[in-house]
Amino acid sequence: MSSSPKTTVLIAEDDAVSRELLRKTLTSWGYEVILTTDGAQAWAAILQNKSRIIILDWMMPKLDGLEICRKVRDTITDRYTYIILLTSKGDSDDVIEGLTAGADDYVTKPFSRPELKARLLTGKRIINLETQLLETQKRLHELATRDGLTTLWNRSAILQILEEETERSRREQAPLGTIMIDIDRFKDINDSYGHLSGDTVLVTIARRLMDNVRPYDKIGRYGGDEILVVLPHCNWTHLEIIADRLQKAVAGEKIEISGHKKAIDVTISIGGTSFDGIGEKPVDRLIMESDKALYEAKNEGRNRYKMAKPEGKDE
Amino acid sequence: MSGNQSDETNGIIDYPSALERTGDDSEFLTELLDLYVREFSPAYEKLLTAVIGKNFTAVREIGHGLKGSSANLSLLGLREAAYRMETAGREEDAAKAEKALADIEKEFQRLQEHLATR
Repeated sequence: MSSSPKTTVLIAEDDAVSRELLRKTLTSWGYEVILTTDGAQAWAAILQNKSRIIILDWMMPKLDGLEICRKVRDTITDRYTYIILLTSKGDSDDVIEGLTAGADDYVTKPFSRPELKARLLTGKRIINLETQLLETQKRLHELATRDGLTTLWNRSAILQILEEETERSRREQAPLGTIMIDIDRFKDINDSYGHLSGDTVLVTIARRLMDNVRPYDKIGRYGGDEILVVLPHCNWTHLEIIADRLQKAVAGEKIEISGHKKAIDVTISIGGTSFDGIGEKPVDRLIMESDKALYEAKNEGRNRYKMAKPEGKDE
Repeated sequence: MSGNQSDETNGIIDYPSALERTGDDSEFLTELLDLYVREFSPAYEKLLTAVIGKNFTAVREIGHGLKGSSANLSLLGLREAAYRMETAGREEDAAKAEKALADIEKEFQRLQEHLATR
């Protein structure tokens, strides 16, 4: 067995001799072992995701092995937990009861070393397969929700995020800001330097934006060179501060273009709005207001930000 | 385990089987036997209380636990007596429980004497 990375096995066994025997045996096979002495302790460790393979004694104080099996299957749905029931019971009714309650396998006490070793390997194989499956699922999700060029959220993902954040803002009555960004004269950059250079500009700007928002803000590529930022818990004052920071982060440093001696100046225009979380303000209205403010920024000469006027204020 | 283990199955402990379970680690088997002896007294006290009080659920559960730990160390006599205790609890048979209790005590004494000679 390879020593790294070690697979962790949670042992729930109230009998000290059996517990020690299992601990030393599994450790000698290269497993990391977590010991618990009753069902309640075991359940607490399971909830903390301390191990994906569990050896459960059938009869334990506080919560027996069967009850834990049922709780695991009813409660833990985001990952698979491989359960081996350990018991001195051996007849087929008990096996059926254990497997029906959610156990994957069954070892009778006193256990046979080769048998336990083989059954643990089966568990490890299943957990490894599930881990690979979850990683693939995650990668597919990334591919489906991320913009391939900039790695920002793609259009449908950022709109979904905005939808969810609007709901949350309403629920918590907390402010939510949105910012729409457009790269100034992006068509000219593509025409003058080529589309590959245009891509470089987009990637560079995306990185600068990511570096200058708060960790919980979300940035998505809304259109060709239009970028939407969703800013939870962001009132008008903070919105202006962040917009100012983003605009300066892009304009403050030239962008190097491969094959061109001189780095180029690139600027962005920004339009923003905020929702105070009270009453109705649907997603399309937030986008429309940000868009409108963005066009005002463009019309006033670009490389600047404009905020939509807060509702109920005359300024 | 420092002494020789040629006595193999002596009615008290089946050494070959116990050693197989500890991966042929005789020192570890000795540690486990020591642990068993230390854990026995509190378990026996609880068992005694349960038998006297005719608490058959406790009789069954403690008997079951003792059967498991005895089986892991291939303690033949203790395992057999603990099994009878568990059955007495399940059948709610006070006389059988008292007999099993006496056998457990006797078997444990045999084990201690055996360990002392090794």
